[in-house]
Amino acid sequence: MAAQAHKSINAKYHRRRAHITIGTFLKYFILIFGVLITLLPFIWIILGSFKSAAEIIQVPPTFWPENPTLNNYRTILNDPKLPLLRFYGNSTFVAVFNVITTLFTSSLLGFLFAKYKFRGKNILFGWFLLLLMIPGQITMIPDYIILSEVGLLNSLWGLVVFSATDAFGVFMLKQFIESLPNELLDAARIDGASEWQIYWRVVLPLLGAPLATLGVLNFMGNWNAYLWPMVVITSIEKRTLPIILTWYNSQHGSNPGITNAATILVVLPILFLFFYFQRWIVRGFTMSGLKG
Amino acid sequence: MFKRNRVKSKNKGGGLRVGQRHFILSVTIPMILYEVIGIFALLWAFILIFFKYSPGRAGGPILGLGGSNPFVGLQHFQNMFTGASLEARQFRISLVNTLIFAFVVLVLNLAITLPLATLIESVKSRYKDLFRMIYFLPVLTASVGVAEMWTYLYDPQAGLINAILRALGGTPVAWLSDPRAEFFGISVSMLAVIIAYLWADYGYNLVIFIAALQSIPRELKEAAMIDGANPWQTFSKITIPLLQPTILFVCVMTMLSSFQVFDVVQVMTDGGPNHQTRVMVLDIYDNAFRFQRMGWSAAVSFVLFIIVMVVTVIQMRVLRTDWEY
Repeated sequence: MAAQAHKSINAKYHRRRAHITIGTFLKYFILIFGVLITLLPFIWIILGSFKSAAEIIQVPPTFWPENPTLNNYRTILNDPKLPLLRFYGNSTFVAVFNVITTLFTSSLLGFLFAKYKFRGKNILFGWFLLLLMIPGQITMIPDYIILSEVGLLNSLWGLVVFSATDAFGVFMLKQFIESLPNELLDAARIDGASEWQIYWRVVLPLLGAPLATLGVLNFMGNWNAYLWPMVVITSIEKRTLPIILTWYNSQHGSNPGITNAATILVVLPILFLFFYFQRWIVRGFTMSGLKG
Repeated sequence: MFKRNRVKSKNKGGGLRVGQRHFILSVTIPMILYEVIGIFALLWAFILIFFKYSPGRAGGPILGLGGSNPFVGLQHFQNMFTGASLEARQFRISLVNTLIFAFVVLVLNLAITLPLATLIESVKSRYKDLFRMIYFLPVLTASVGVAEMWTYLYDPQAGLINAILRALGGTPVAWLSDPRAEFFGISVSMLAVIIAYLWADYGYNLVIFIAALQSIPRELKEAAMIDGANPWQTFSKITIPLLQPTILFVCVMTMLSSFQVFDVVQVMTDGGPNHQTRVMVLDIYDNAFRFQRMGWSAAVSFVLFIIVMVVTVIQMRVLRTDWEY
């Protein structure tokens, strides 16, 4: 009886093996087809960025550049009035500033909510999360009027003043800090450390992984942001990269090669970041339910 | 102010030290002050929906309301759903477009990501990471970059898509600018934008599904195999039911972000042709910052807010009940 059952399982196993080969072929065929669909737009603009102004508007288009040229990159990098480097500066300022404030407030508030007991804590925490769950388009108009009243319109500071806290960051770091043992903090207290010193010297050094995750996600969000910077910034030289990208397109509408080159230069830093921080980025996206 | 007793029992007689109290106050007070600005902005946004407001006009003393920025009550909402003015018609178009956009994106996204995640999960692990990495690349790309890329791909003359069509003997299509072209009742320009958005976005859900699939114990699938289930039965009877919370989560997140779509649409079509891709956030942006109709725009964002909140509440209900068992 048992032997028979074993035999039939064995038979099934072998039968499955036989048609797994077709299945495997199909599986890899679909996956590689998907990879092609995913990569083709990238490949197409990379190739396009090396085409000359005449070649890129040719009908039908060439796939490989006939006479590869770096002119498109030269044009945007050497633009005498508006070199791309300036916009890298603007975007980097906004992104780095927002990352630093977010990491600081998230870790500090996470520490506070995780390790201290005080009256009204739960109300404060709930209120805090609720407020930050509201989509940004809702408060965009009042925020805009506030900025215009305090004179921060058309200033890079206008892009950072409302971004100092992040609900997801506070929530994530609170969870993480709750898992740190209280004895660690008490030991530091016995040694005479103040609460700020405990935060700075004991808690913060233990937050490497979650801070990296949060920092990278936050950096990406700021680097890629489009709507709010477009609302706040009016003069060309203060724009961030995504906005200048659309501007290049409107200036060089007849030469998509320039837009292609600019797109690549805007996307590249994030891709480098991804290859360094891949694990954290994927983990962060999975945890956060936030999208870029 | 502080619950001394609870802290005391915890600190074994140490009490809440003066230093701790100072620390708590010095962190909470600035935080509360900062968040008050947020609450203020939120209330302001709510008040604006009852006014005809433009910051350029001379208004009353309080927040510039009143005077030439008159109180109109619920007139904006009445207008939105019954009015014949241009902005009312544009609102209704954008509402319908947003719903179509969100629904089509959701269906196509799930139809792509769930099977694809299962396939990736079933290949050898050294290829698995490679596939996952490649599929994730579009998620990292700035949405404006995505829009520029796809605008170039869709280009009627120099674009790759029409080049392929021509090579296959088809006629080229003006994907983003032909107002008459449609497919199953949805305009081609809308579908073109949806495809660009899907391409940019599906890697995200893919990663979530892969993570969820990895958390399903192997033994369950093996047991089903031994009982004679074929791969399709294993997928539909074991994998799908166990993934249900994840599927719901993904549905809601996908809906929420596609209700708020802006970047891709604004760059690729700016709502055109003939308002066929006008979506709600674009309508909000145009009214507030191009036409200075901020009261109206606030009312439109209020409608969007209601939609987002309803979806969020449903999400919380559904997820809570599902995670309990």
